[in-house]
Amino acid sequence: MEALNYAWLIVALPFVAAGVIAAFGRLMPLKGAEVGLAAIAIAWVVAVMIGYQTFVNGPVEAVEQVFWSAPLGGSVLIEFGQYVDGLTAMMLVLVTTVSFMVQLYSREYMHGEDRFTYFFAMLSLFTFSMLVLVVAPNTLQALVGWELVGVCSYLLIGYYWLEKTNSDAANKAFLTTKFGDIGLVVGIIVLSVGVSAHTDNVFSIRETTELAAAGMLSEPTIVLGCLLIFLGAMAKSGQMPLHVWLPDAMAGPTPVSALIHAATMVTAGVFLIARLYPVFAQSLAVMNTMAIVGTITLFFAGFVAIVQDDIKKVLAYSTISQLGYMVAALGVGGYTAGIFHLFTHGFFKALLFLGSGSLIHAIHSNNMSDMGGMRKFMPVTFWTFVVGSLALAGFPLTAGFFSKDEVLVSAQIWASNGAASGVSSTALTGNLVFWLGLAGAMVTTFYMGRSVFLIFFGTHRGVSAHTPEEVEAEVAAGTLDPQAEMEDLDQAAHDQDAVDDLSQQDVAAGHAGHGSDHDHGSGGHHLPHESGWQILTALVVLAVLSVPVGFLGGFLWDEVGGSTERNFETWTATHLLEEVSYPFLADAHPVDLEELHGGEAEGADADHAGDGAEEGEAAGISTDVTPLAAGADLVLATEAEGGEGEVDNHVLHGAPEFHLNVFVLALGGFLAAIALAWTIYGRSRPMRDPVLHMGGVTTLLENKYYFDDIGYRGVVVPVRDWLAPAASWSSNVILDGIVKNTGGAVKRLADVTYFTIDQKVIDGGINGGAFSAAWISSKLKRLQSGDVQRYAGAMLAGVIVLVVVFAAAR
Amino acid sequence: MLNEQGWLLSLALFFPVIGAAIIVAMPSEAERTVKRVGVVLTGITLALSTVIAFGFDYSSGDRLQFETVVPWIDAIGARYHLGIDGISMPLFYLTGLLTFLCAIYTTKIIPEPGKPKAFLALMMLLQTGMAGTFLAFDLVLFFIFWEVVLVPMYFMIGMWGGPRREYASVKFFLYTLFGSVFMLVGFLSVYFAASDAGLANPWDIIELSQAAGIGTSTFQTFAFLGIFLGFAIKVPVWPFHTWLPDAHTEAPTVGSVLLAGVLLKMGTYGFIRIALPILPEGAVRFAPLIGVLGVIGIIYGSLACLAQSDVKRLIAFSSVGHMGFVMLGISAMNEQGIQAALYGNIAHAVVTGMLFFLAGSLHERYHTRDIATIGGGMLVKMPRYGALLVFVSMASLGLPGLAGFWGEFGALWAARSPAPAIAANWSGLYLGLVIAGAAGTVLTAAYFLWLIQRVGLGTPTERWAAEPLADVMPIEWVSWTPLLILVFVLGPFPFVFNIQDPAVTNLVSFLGGG
Repeated sequence: MEALNYAWLIVALPFVAAGVIAAFGRLMPLKGAEVGLAAIAIAWVVAVMIGYQTFVNGPVEAVEQVFWSAPLGGSVLIEFGQYVDGLTAMMLVLVTTVSFMVQLYSREYMHGEDRFTYFFAMLSLFTFSMLVLVVAPNTLQALVGWELVGVCSYLLIGYYWLEKTNSDAANKAFLTTKFGDIGLVVGIIVLSVGVSAHTDNVFSIRETTELAAAGMLSEPTIVLGCLLIFLGAMAKSGQMPLHVWLPDAMAGPTPVSALIHAATMVTAGVFLIARLYPVFAQSLAVMNTMAIVGTITLFFAGFVAIVQDDIKKVLAYSTISQLGYMVAALGVGGYTAGIFHLFTHGFFKALLFLGSGSLIHAIHSNNMSDMGGMRKFMPVTFWTFVVGSLALAGFPLTAGFFSKDEVLVSAQIWASNGAASGVSSTALTGNLVFWLGLAGAMVTTFYMGRSVFLIFFGTHRGVSAHTPEEVEAEVAAGTLDPQAEMEDLDQAAHDQDAVDDLSQQDVAAGHAGHGSDHDHGSGGHHLPHESGWQILTALVVLAVLSVPVGFLGGFLWDEVGGSTERNFETWTATHLLEEVSYPFLADAHPVDLEELHGGEAEGADADHAGDGAEEGEAAGISTDVTPLAAGADLVLATEAEGGEGEVDNHVLHGAPEFHLNVFVLALGGFLAAIALAWTIYGRSRPMRDPVLHMGGVTTLLENKYYFDDIGYRGVVVPVRDWLAPAASWSSNVILDGIVKNTGGAVKRLADVTYFTIDQKVIDGGINGGAFSAAWISSKLKRLQSGDVQRYAGAMLAGVIVLVVVFAAAR
Repeated sequence: MLNEQGWLLSLALFFPVIGAAIIVAMPSEAERTVKRVGVVLTGITLALSTVIAFGFDYSSGDRLQFETVVPWIDAIGARYHLGIDGISMPLFYLTGLLTFLCAIYTTKIIPEPGKPKAFLALMMLLQTGMAGTFLAFDLVLFFIFWEVVLVPMYFMIGMWGGPRREYASVKFFLYTLFGSVFMLVGFLSVYFAASDAGLANPWDIIELSQAAGIGTSTFQTFAFLGIFLGFAIKVPVWPFHTWLPDAHTEAPTVGSVLLAGVLLKMGTYGFIRIALPILPEGAVRFAPLIGVLGVIGIIYGSLACLAQSDVKRLIAFSSVGHMGFVMLGISAMNEQGIQAALYGNIAHAVVTGMLFFLAGSLHERYHTRDIATIGGGMLVKMPRYGALLVFVSMASLGLPGLAGFWGEFGALWAARSPAPAIAANWSGLYLGLVIAGAAGTVLTAAYFLWLIQRVGLGTPTERWAAEPLADVMPIEWVSWTPLLILVFVLGPFPFVFNIQDPAVTNLVSFLGGG
């Protein structure tokens, strides 16, 4: 387990890189990119080692270390450290892989940008922040990482801050997620205060989950805490209706969209729920909330993607929809299914975004209406994009197929468990997730089919619409020189200022310019051409990965040389999770913590596969079950195997099986949707796109269900235009008015005292003293501070009176 | 042992007075020399503070160190009781540091009408007053330092301030004095009650705290009310905040930095050092009110910020929100709450002090602080300056990993589990306060992001496009760097918690479980 101890290195390297790039990046030959790439490459190697070790050893004992702590008051400590288990390792592998590829890609994509160095520093800083969250041993450190990724996201969405729409998008993203963070912060506090009754280590994720699983946290604490944390997860992971920031976040450069707004940061909410899953699993209300929110999101977000023209918007809504799958899976007891989908989605969605970036780079437009026929110009981009699309659509044997299948199977199991336990709401949510999940998969297939056909098939519709023949002629004539790009790149590294001039002169050679996300409007006056090696390497690597990662957790794992004893579920499971059952289902009982810890020594590398009572709806590959001697409930569950009326009340379902009915339904849906897409868009772009002519439905979808309008008119405007001025006015006019009027009244009282009582009544009788009084008053009037002294005197008199009164009353 | 040398603390405390005398004795023509001597003198004070910081035994931070007890006014039994513990230490050191940085800043940037001699002399007098407040352990001595602070600040605003300086300075002076009067009455009543209770030194803060509550519950409630008013105006707690925006808007940059950095802390320090431990029963009665007012301050202050058009006034209102978190921490009356409040104090001093420096330099360049007139594009015109504004704004909006976060989070955490006596009756209210306080962080983020967008982002307007605007100047780097480092370091390394911890534990034990 040695490698696990070095997880901190993976976190530290990008941080150091960010600092070095920010400080010295401009002076370096590659403008700091080399530092970022070197750091992430080393981090990636370590992450893969940790991933391998945790994978081959099944559910591992988590390595928990604290490096730094400070007292938050009393016995409550702030701790920074690392917590490394299979779930951590999975995230480490995902984050470092995607970050590595995105940084490589960005070298080419962002070259010539004014703030290239800054961009790389931010990518490294983001990677660091995400990893802080991933390795967090306590909710407080998780919160720190969570907020830091938010600010990196803000800074990168607003990368092109010269234009207001982009900084608006950045603000919207930050504030919407910050709204969710109300829930996260208060949720963490509620849980930790509940935990504080049992242990001093109040933020510890391990202790929190164990106490919850043992039934030692009160129900209000769990329900309130989890629902509040879920609010935070909803905002971060784009669940409706807090998803509104995510499509706008596409204002950032495309590599940022791939890394942050598709593969990693937006999954932080899902990850955090998974981290705290033994807590969430305690409450039916919490599970149902997740299932319903997730289902709404997965179903409705997909439809919006259908009517988009901007390819990045299609992918953004697709991301929201897929995040909905993950959350819905977690809500129907599909712990493994949810994070498995997180894992596979990270690869193929990053691939799709990077592919769309390659296209945008080539034609200087995000709009599919400006593309068409691109498969001739950009074959590598085309094939990798197709792989990504198939994976997203769940085509058999791709990564998305296995993970989506898992989600649906989990929903089925949940439904039947609910029915068997007499819990009608789980039966309902299980069926909801299953059927709407299937329908959503069809929608996914349709919009991805539409996109692929519109982008790559038909004829090129760019400003410089050429026929493929013309293109080939140009290639033959040498005007379309792939080397030109590379030369520019080298030159740009030496002389950034010259880039603009160069690109002007180089247009004929097909130079792609820079800042494609940025509206370079007239950029399409040359032929699109394939991207350079760095972009293509990233695409190919991710495309290659988009297939095998699915087998890890799929039912074919045995067939491809894997072992049932070591699959995605055993990788990401923990010993605690193996014991946890849903208390609202039949025959559940709390985890015995002593037994859990006692059994850990010998159970460390034992296999857990036996705890899943398989649903047994379809004959699949039988699992070789070796029940773990961890508790009587396991035996019970194993006995229940195959029985229709029995309940699997455990979080883990055991190794995945082949479910023929799910397979048939999913494949049928896929084929139907792809056929429909082909019919409409396959040969050429229809003059009249039917999805844009569906009357009220199209209007509804084009307006994104009016969520943005509701948010703007219902929240932003009232706060900014009504409440804020009202607060300011009441402060300046009412509260300060009281102060001013009090002062004025004292002043008048003083005048009366002096001019009437003193001068006329008292002084009128004593003429001799008048001269001196007049002399003093004229002096006083000239001094601005005269008022102060007079009031101070009056107050001193008041003090004396009050003291006397107080002393008398005592 | 070094930390038994009480004279050292007195020297560090009163050296600025000597310094002020030296400055006054210098010829007024030699302005450059005067400014440099000012840096040297405040530097010596800081060096003395550093010696004290090194001599301080942090493991027993609950104990008064560098203590001096000398009979002073025998007629009323007041003593010259000076000392420093883990709660005072960070505030004391910060006072020395901020004054030093302000002196450096003043060498290049001094507002109209100049006169560095008077300016620096006043600043040093102010320093003694501020530092003395954190070191005095006798109520009479405390009150004198408290009042001493008013005069130099009054003149700083009144002479070197903006167009409405006279109004703002008089308001600042009178409003604070108004509160002080009630505070003094409270002190006197405590004195009489303590005498009746047979305390040997009825002015002594330590003895009063250890008495664990003097007088009847009713007495404590009324005495607390008086002391509350005095401190609440200084903090300022909503709705006693209206002097603050005016004072900040009109004060010279250095005045604003010290006002936000130290003066406001005197109020919260007073609550923690005096009001809570001496009158615990009164405090328990008032705690829910303090919490509610604190949270109103958070929401209200942030909303008011959204409506401001003047950068400096916006930052001033942001102080109302931030001090609201400090008050929320105090209202929990437990260790976490006091820790959070004290940490919030330090963080706010560093962060908002820095923001006021930035606002001052903004005015130096644009000669306006109106957001609409500046109109964006600062990151184009002055990239380093803009980056600093973004960085410090992020700290101020409570970004975890920077200074501002722990105070806010700690206060919210503490308010979820307030002292048992409060939790018994007000648990639901406090949960509401936690949620509302957390909601306030969103508003805080909103006004800072909006400020950054309107001032920093976008392209410069026509008016400024051709204007040569200097980026951060060397003198600014010198005077800002220590604060910038602290803004960062206090995030990942919240070491101030460690310094305060023993003293806070000790202090909370006086609250007697509420």
